[in-house]
Amino acid sequence: MALKLYDYTLSGSCYKVRLLLGFLELTYTREQVDFYPGRRHKSLDFLAINPLGQLPVLEDGDLRLRDAQAILCHLANKYDKTGKWLPRDPATFGTVMMWLMFAGGEIMAASAARLHDLLGYDLDIAAARNSAHAAFRILDDHLALREIAGAQWIAGDHPTVADVACYPYVALAGDGGIGHEDYPALRNWLRVFRTIPHFDPMSGIPEFA
Amino acid sequence: MDRSLFRANARLEKARLAVVLGDVEAGRREMQQSQHDAAGARDCWIAVGLDAQIRPQSSHPVIVAGRELALWRGETGPAKVWDDQCPHRGMRLSFGFVRDGTLRCLYHGWGYGEDGRCVSIPAHPELAPPKTICAGAHAVATKYGIIWSNLSAARAATVPEIPAVTDWRPVRSLYIHRSAAVVLAGIAAFDYGAPAEPATPAADVYVVTLGAQTQLLLALQPVEANKTGVHIASSGVDATADRLALVRQMHSLRDAIEAGTGPSR
Repeated sequence: MALKLYDYTLSGSCYKVRLLLGFLELTYTREQVDFYPGRRHKSLDFLAINPLGQLPVLEDGDLRLRDAQAILCHLANKYDKTGKWLPRDPATFGTVMMWLMFAGGEIMAASAARLHDLLGYDLDIAAARNSAHAAFRILDDHLALREIAGAQWIAGDHPTVADVACYPYVALAGDGGIGHEDYPALRNWLRVFRTIPHFDPMSGIPEFA
Repeated sequence: MDRSLFRANARLEKARLAVVLGDVEAGRREMQQSQHDAAGARDCWIAVGLDAQIRPQSSHPVIVAGRELALWRGETGPAKVWDDQCPHRGMRLSFGFVRDGTLRCLYHGWGYGEDGRCVSIPAHPELAPPKTICAGAHAVATKYGIIWSNLSAARAATVPEIPAVTDWRPVRSLYIHRSAAVVLAGIAAFDYGAPAEPATPAADVYVVTLGAQTQLLLALQPVEANKTGVHIASSGVDATADRLALVRQMHSLRDAIEAGTGPSR
């Protein structure tokens, strides 16, 4: 087994993968891709690795995978002997998948706002922030109901790939001018997430819970 | 909306700009003036959050009438409401962390005790911080499972008295993209699924009595001209399934008010 992550330190999507690699205590090599200002993820060399021109990419032996959510599922499926990170029981699996897709879809509006504010991307920032707020409200509503039911994770009674996939761009939202004022349940979930063993912070996410 | 709070906010912005531009003294002056302006706020108690939602050892951002506040709690004891700015460099204290009963600024770790006084400057461990370095602390009361704060210096007003019921339980904090007036009208018009007897024991506080057993307390927090928080507690709703249904109903209340569709379940 040789794991190699094509990585960019400031990327929330790469952070998702680094988080789970850490939680699973896996060793891996990192190839830093000059996302900004070099735009090497759009270079011909990198397009040969990922035709979508996106980070992260994970190589696991001969297997090469793109898409943070797909990579999370692969890592959990292959390396998590407890089966907890990617629960297979019928009561939880569908819910985990639903929020995993939400992380790769609706929540990415917060990533767009962050690219605008941090790296000067030319996009409709008001629309991005509005969409991110709409997504955060949906997750906050869900987590508020979970609190009433005595639970603290997105699905089940332990963290799953759904929590890992949703966490980075919610936690980093301030970089894109999106505050957490309106989301009390989300704020408490963010704090609990940082107590997962082997949690690693990144730039923009405080180490202290 | 409260004019003195708007003035205070403008001052705070100026203070932050001055610090960024390197004029720390001007920044400090503006910050002090900002606290002075804020003290002239209307003498009333405003709901700022649900007590159960503010866990021990945590700090949270709250906005009241455009003013940024930090709502935090030590390892034990009641929640505190402070201006969301470190007296040192204006960093938001809601980003801070709690250690040994002090709120620590994330920027340089300056620590503030429960009364707001600076008690620790990590870069100068031998220094006893001057008493003048003080975070802007506001009056706080916890009642009906809701945290209330009075931002005025006068503090003659009392927390609204809600008669009869004592066993209030936290339900949900909603943030609705409408003015307080529109939200109040929406709360009054909502179909709660049972004959509702409304009462308003104070401005911005609404009590709905549903039948003989159930009461809802909805306390408003003006956030911005077009955004209002509603902190909701219930009495007589105890089974988990009923509480889940109530939270969902409150989400529908929010969505109905924003949709402007009038009465709806």
